Amino acid sequence: MAKLSLSTAIALIFLLLVAVLIAVVPFLPGYDPYAQNLAAGLLPPGQSSSDGTFYPLGTDTLGRDMLSRLALGGQVSLFIGVSAVAVSLVLGVVLGLIAGFYRGWTESVVMGIADLQLSVPRVLLLIAVAAVMGSGVVKLAILLGVTSWVSYGRIARAMALSLREREFVLAATTLGATASWNIRRHLLPNVLPQMLIVASYELGQIIVLESALSYLGLGVQPPLASWGTMVSDGQTYLELDPWLSVLPSIALFLLVAGIQIASQSFTRENDMTAELAKSGG
Amino acid sequence: MGYFIARRTLQSMLTVLGVVTVTFFLVRLAGDPTSLLLPVEASDEDIARLRTALGLDQSLAVQYAKFLAHTLVGDFGESLRQRSSALGLVLERLPATLELAISAFVLGIAVAFGIGLATRLSRSARLRAAVMWLALARQAIPVFSFGLFLILIFAVWLRWLPSLGRGGIEHLILPALTLATYELALYLRLFNASLSNEQRQDYVRTAYSKGQSRAGVIIRHMLPNALLPLVTIAGINLGLLLGGTVVTETVFSWPGVGRLMVQSVSQRDYPVIIAGVFVVSLIFVAVNLLVDILYGFLDPRVRLA
Repeated sequence: MAKLSLSTAIALIFLLLVAVLIAVVPFLPGYDPYAQNLAAGLLPPGQSSSDGTFYPLGTDTLGRDMLSRLALGGQVSLFIGVSAVAVSLVLGVVLGLIAGFYRGWTESVVMGIADLQLSVPRVLLLIAVAAVMGSGVVKLAILLGVTSWVSYGRIARAMALSLREREFVLAATTLGATASWNIRRHLLPNVLPQMLIVASYELGQIIVLESALSYLGLGVQPPLASWGTMVSDGQTYLELDPWLSVLPSIALFLLVAGIQIASQSFTRENDMTAELAKSGG
Repeated sequence: MGYFIARRTLQSMLTVLGVVTVTFFLVRLAGDPTSLLLPVEASDEDIARLRTALGLDQSLAVQYAKFLAHTLVGDFGESLRQRSSALGLVLERLPATLELAISAFVLGIAVAFGIGLATRLSRSARLRAAVMWLALARQAIPVFSFGLFLILIFAVWLRWLPSLGRGGIEHLILPALTLATYELALYLRLFNASLSNEQRQDYVRTAYSKGQSRAGVIIRHMLPNALLPLVTIAGINLGLLLGGTVVTETVFSWPGVGRLMVQSVSQRDYPVIIAGVFVVSLIFVAVNLLVDILYGFLDPRVRLA
């Protein structure tokens, strides 16, 4: 158990650092992710500009404060991640439970769509859809959510298949309960804990996906920032000022690793459900 | 076995058809590409003429039927930006992507196999835990961040390797390493988990009680069984690998299909996007089919399902 508590402690420290960055930094004096100071472009961390303003993490090419930009990027990344997970969770649970409870052609259709979606690499699918829909924070969250329901859907369906044969469901049906009542009152509470475990794992994956899309220029658009766009913007100046790319990369690592370790301590060690659920890209 | 293969092949073909259909309708939803093709000052007659030439004045059903007929013979039309066929552009870039994906795949599997087996044979639980922690940490770093770190260290600071473009083996090292280590982490964790799982089986206890050595039990008995899940996951995971190539190609300016597609999206070059989706999903589905058939040979129980 000592190992488990150590890993949980690491996860908590990582997540706490990110939480401070996202939730506390915006209230600090001098927080302004959009203010440009062209006299103070590309400052390394811990330096003041010629006009005396102090930039704890330096500035980007336009002289914007990196700490503020990082906080903004984190808010955007986390907002998109959490909303996308919520969308996919609801969609996956509803579709999965309906498929597993009603069976028949409903099940064939839902699972057919799931198989189809699994047979295209997710990034490819996102690229194709992004090409059509354009991008924006809300659109991006919906897009990521809609393309990620399959993990929940498959597990919810599998659980519904066995739950629908259980005595308490049969008893309710015999007493005249409708299918939708059964799904809401009996199936949903039973699948929810498992679904939340999958969600905790998926959150990290979705944040990485969002940052990758934004890195490719297909996600969040300027002047808004996400950590992915910040890494991409900094790549041009890798030789001059590597901090521009390194700082958002570190932030991403802290958040994703924190979520991953925390979600692992939820799941039993060696339990491969989550691994299997996510494969399919 | 023949029936199994025939059924899975049919399924795969239907999948590709489904993917192409979805992409077609998505692109039609995006609206009229004529506004992108013509200058702003184009007259209404010009627009109408172009719409007729592109077949956009016909009903959606007719357009779809024509599109399918053309797809069957591999005709995705001309790129909207370059005067050459969309499929040709994609196929031109394919060798670069395959070179990157295959080298990363082989590197990832080989190293995961080596490290996984070595740590299992070594008896040291601490070593195994350390390796697993490293793997977990690597998985938490996005592909583009890891690629940039490699560029920063090996190209900018040490100046050992080039950071951009495709050329000799020295150009391949950093992108392949970026992609392989992501795969490696996943394979290592899965391989380790499936070895742990086999270790608890009765046949392992029996082998020990026959007096076989630890290395003998691991290599002769556990390994073949532990490799089965690795084969499936490696196959399924091809999606992740292909997705990873899109990002890796962009990081290293590698002239592959992924980079072409990202560029086509920003230029709204729809024929190239459709052709790219078609080619990549065809490869993906074909490899999965191959893995399924291979799996059917390795594990006869699969065929019954």
